[in-house]
Amino acid sequence: MAKTLTTLTLLFIDIACQTRTVTRIAPDTPMDLSGRWNDSDSRMVADKMITELLSSPRFKEYAAGHEKKPAIVVGTIRNKTTEHIDAGAYIKKLEVAIYNSNIAELVESEEFRDKLRVERAQQQDFADETTVSQWGKEIGADLMLFGEMTSEVDTHNKSRVVNYITTLFLTDIETNKRIWYGQQEIKKYVKN
Amino acid sequence: MLKTDSSTIARILAKGILLAVLFILINACASYYQRHFDFNSEFEHGDLRQALETLRRNENESEGKSRFIYFVNKGLLLSVLGEYQESNDYFEKAFLFGEDYRINYINEAASYLTNPTFTVYRGEDHEHLMLLYFKAINFLKMNKPDDALVECRRLNIRLNQLSDKYSSEEKLQRNAFIHTLMGIIYQSTRDYNNAFIAYRNALDVYENDYARLFGMEPPEQMKIDLLESARRIGFMEEYESYKTRFEMLDYEPQEYDADLIFFWHNGLGPVKDEWSINFAIRRGSGNTMIFSNQDLGLEFPYQVESEKDRSDLGSMEFFRVAFPRYFERPLYYQSGVLESNQVTYPLELAENISKVAFHSLRQRMMEEFAKGLLRAALKKAAEHSLREKDDRLGAVLGLVNVLTEKADTRNWQTLPHSIYYSRVKLKEGKNMVTLSLNGGAKEEDPYSFTYEVKRGQTLFHTFSSLETSAGYRFY
Repeated sequence: MAKTLTTLTLLFIDIACQTRTVTRIAPDTPMDLSGRWNDSDSRMVADKMITELLSSPRFKEYAAGHEKKPAIVVGTIRNKTTEHIDAGAYIKKLEVAIYNSNIAELVESEEFRDKLRVERAQQQDFADETTVSQWGKEIGADLMLFGEMTSEVDTHNKSRVVNYITTLFLTDIETNKRIWYGQQEIKKYVKN
Repeated sequence: MLKTDSSTIARILAKGILLAVLFILINACASYYQRHFDFNSEFEHGDLRQALETLRRNENESEGKSRFIYFVNKGLLLSVLGEYQESNDYFEKAFLFGEDYRINYINEAASYLTNPTFTVYRGEDHEHLMLLYFKAINFLKMNKPDDALVECRRLNIRLNQLSDKYSSEEKLQRNAFIHTLMGIIYQSTRDYNNAFIAYRNALDVYENDYARLFGMEPPEQMKIDLLESARRIGFMEEYESYKTRFEMLDYEPQEYDADLIFFWHNGLGPVKDEWSINFAIRRGSGNTMIFSNQDLGLEFPYQVESEKDRSDLGSMEFFRVAFPRYFERPLYYQSGVLESNQVTYPLELAENISKVAFHSLRQRMMEEFAKGLLRAALKKAAEHSLREKDDRLGAVLGLVNVLTEKADTRNWQTLPHSIYYSRVKLKEGKNMVTLSLNGGAKEEDPYSFTYEVKRGQTLFHTFSSLETSAGYRFY
């Protein structure tokens, strides 16, 4: 028993000497710990959607058919999954890609438009007249990007299969015509 | 004369030693509650300023092994006293403690030779969730919804960790109240999509885990909020489907100016206490030694490789092992109702912290038994080995072992027994709201509150009633 005790104590001391480690890893390294939606999934959705959107013949045709570059506003991405997923994580990547592609203009979303209007209203009272931003010069968006995320979950004992389906639409605000339609599925099998 | 003086001194000395031994014995046997009796008594009697003063006097505990309890007690007390920012400073310390906690294996090893209080108290699962509840509500009372949302996200991570921690469905993997709280917070910030997800998850947990384990039903208000968030986000299919499922086909959304979310913290949560049982040791088949208590029907077989160790253990007839248990502080008030603008709003039970605590401990009791037995066996073996070399020293160690054998009776004891809530519809401007608490020993006047509210605003209020129908008695 005394031997067991000594072994136990030595084992504890050995483990106690272990320290916390923090390692920086490349942001695009896929890391799956819990099996839930994570940054790798956001990146996969964004990459697939960007490629699909920018190479879409219908979108190119729409852009070519207008004298000016079409203006896009990001609407609501509805989350119908069981997880609290921040769609903004991949939508922002999509926005950056659209902006850098120089094919389309981006118009601020509702949330930021309201803040800009408050700022503009205050400028009317407090800013130098020559620098005041004028009312009525906002660019009306031609297209709205919106979408939906759903998930189907199947569980049995300690196993879980989740299929995340992300669908994005780009719709002509004037005609309600769908210009582009992208869908990405991510299926995960988690065994505990 | 000299002789008399010597015998007097000897008597005084003996008395002193006896008193010191008694003091050590009492202190050694005292539970965490008893060792903090001043604070607990002041808190239970509503003498909150004095209780806070007592905590401030014991500032050194913020560095001690029970610092988690110190942080949450101080956070809760400051919150009840309306000092929300300072309260959150302490809750943040408790949160970071939970984040950074690492097992100190040297202390763990030492605890097997003494008792579990030698280790740092890491906090129960529900305690780590509840501190974020208090923190989020403090932020909302300070009108800092973005900060409250941060706590919401932290709660989500905590809930995920909880569901990953246990594989058995009998262990509490999910927390319906926390999902409800997240729904309420998201709804107050007009994030109806996340509110919908949170309420839907809460419904699932109430209808399954909470119904099965605690006999609880989902609050009606939560169902209404689920419908309302589905309607607001435009999930009309889900809206209609839930109306049918809830048998609320005639539900129509009501137009009103503002909301009051009223949380009622009823009573006080359970206190961890100690109980001890005697285990007998006998030889089993092969290398097995069996520790058993026939009265409780408990049997724990252990493989012991060495014949000498088996013989040593077999020579001990029985020994005492201390385990933790909860002592409930039953509710004094049985129900509560709010009234505003001639409309009554029942306060609905959203969380029974007492039942959650009891269930958690019950579910890990086998683990506690196994740890307690291993501890007792190691201590006995050390005593036995020493006795072989020096009988007197072995006897001293035996006495020390008896004196140090105790269970870990630490827990967050200022938590409420249960949390009730209601959503009160307010008109823009000044509103009077009354609260009536029922089921107590005598009829009491209702409490009155006045709220000044703007259109579209959601106010948060917590009310704590510390009365219990029977306090914790330790004598």
